[in-house]
Amino acid sequence: MPAERLVRVLGLLVTGGAPGGRRLCEVAAQVTEMSGAGVMLLSEDRPQASLCSTDTVSAAIEEAQYTLGEGPCVDAHRQGTPIIEADLAAAGPSRWAAFSTCALDAGARAVFGFPVRIGTVRLGALNLYRDRPGALGDDQQADALVMADVAASAILAAQSDGYPGELGVDLEADTHVWTVVHQAAGMVSIQLDIPVGDALVRLRAHAFRTGRPASEVARDIVERRLHFDPGT
Amino acid sequence: MADQAMLVRTLVELADNLVDDFDVVEVLSLLSGRCVDALDVNAAGVMLASPTGSLQVVASSSETMRTLEMFQLQADEGPCVEAYRSGQPVVNVDLGATGGRWPRFASHASSEGFGSAHSLPMRLRQRTLGALNMLRTQTGAFGTADIAAAQALADIATIAIVQHQAADDAQALNSQLSAALNSRIVIEQAKGRISEATGADMDHAFRILRNHARNHNLRLTALADQVAQRNIDIGSLDTLPPPRRPTARW
Repeated sequence: MPAERLVRVLGLLVTGGAPGGRRLCEVAAQVTEMSGAGVMLLSEDRPQASLCSTDTVSAAIEEAQYTLGEGPCVDAHRQGTPIIEADLAAAGPSRWAAFSTCALDAGARAVFGFPVRIGTVRLGALNLYRDRPGALGDDQQADALVMADVAASAILAAQSDGYPGELGVDLEADTHVWTVVHQAAGMVSIQLDIPVGDALVRLRAHAFRTGRPASEVARDIVERRLHFDPGT
Repeated sequence: MADQAMLVRTLVELADNLVDDFDVVEVLSLLSGRCVDALDVNAAGVMLASPTGSLQVVASSSETMRTLEMFQLQADEGPCVEAYRSGQPVVNVDLGATGGRWPRFASHASSEGFGSAHSLPMRLRQRTLGALNMLRTQTGAFGTADIAAAQALADIATIAIVQHQAADDAQALNSQLSAALNSRIVIEQAKGRISEATGADMDHAFRILRNHARNHNLRLTALADQVAQRNIDIGSLDTLPPPRRPTARW
């Protein structure tokens, strides 16, 4: 009964913690009995920001998707349907060439993505993971769907008090756009005399090649420990 | 008597239209057509109020019906106008009766062969969005079951419209959210470019950006976009002395 699930979720949200992005993710992980959860905002077809993540594994899953442009949230957003990968290790790189390795390295064994939307308006995706393989039960899936709806309403409600051109106050506090990555891309665009978009691609490629999170590589660039030279 | 199978099919069709991205006019046209098919009426139409409160003909089961609805609006009288204004059902009004409540509309509708008029408000809580208008060639009472069925159809159409408006709001909010996130990203990219080109740290790069925007009456985001897109030479930005560092202690 969706109404009962919704009441339970709302009950958990208003009790047991300050409301906001963080609580949203905690409740998502709790009701679906997952190891962790996160909510990503996506635009046309790319991750734009993270609204929350419950732990370092979930944060790594979000950053990998942000860096690589692939993964369960990206697919859920593009396809508008839940994405289930019950056994990342068994599926291997065929599922997501680069993301799967990152997620496994971070400690995830099963990942799930649920579109966060209202009607045809697609806002992003709810991301769930578990540290052992296994599918979602019917109850877990139903709760995840309710949770995704609640996240959609919460995001729009939070944005509705923002001035045009600005983020809503709560979103301003919660969203994470990996600022350091974009600062570094700006720097690399000067170093190589290329557009910022291309610089971002170069940065991501470097991160992928060296097996490090893009934000770590970006931090090295911003702190001038790493410099991109033309012709290398 | 209402055709139950047709009613169920109509409800399913309307519900289907609710979930997909739908066109309000299409749903209301479907509603008008199905009223004629499923209920004991000969013509049906829907009027909706514009944001300023003036009624407009949105859907009609036939051209004759459309003309009659337009006539109601011009004459500012008739079942639909009354149901919308009162928010109450207006049913079983005999159009042949002389000295009725809508003399001009009644004579016009009678001349087209209609005998009775019925109109149901499309309401959600305190709001009346419009009205569903139905005409029958016969006079006499419209069955209670038919009225209830017509009201159910009108209610579903009402919810569809309200949800559609909510979805329009959601679209606007989502675009706003996306644009706001994008401007944050663009500002960081511009800071990176300024920092690398001038040797300033990120905080000071931001101050250079903000100072130039203020001096030249530009929006910060617009200037950041110019810098990030390489449309403005960083050397041409107004210079700004770095803030005085706190005295080093040793």
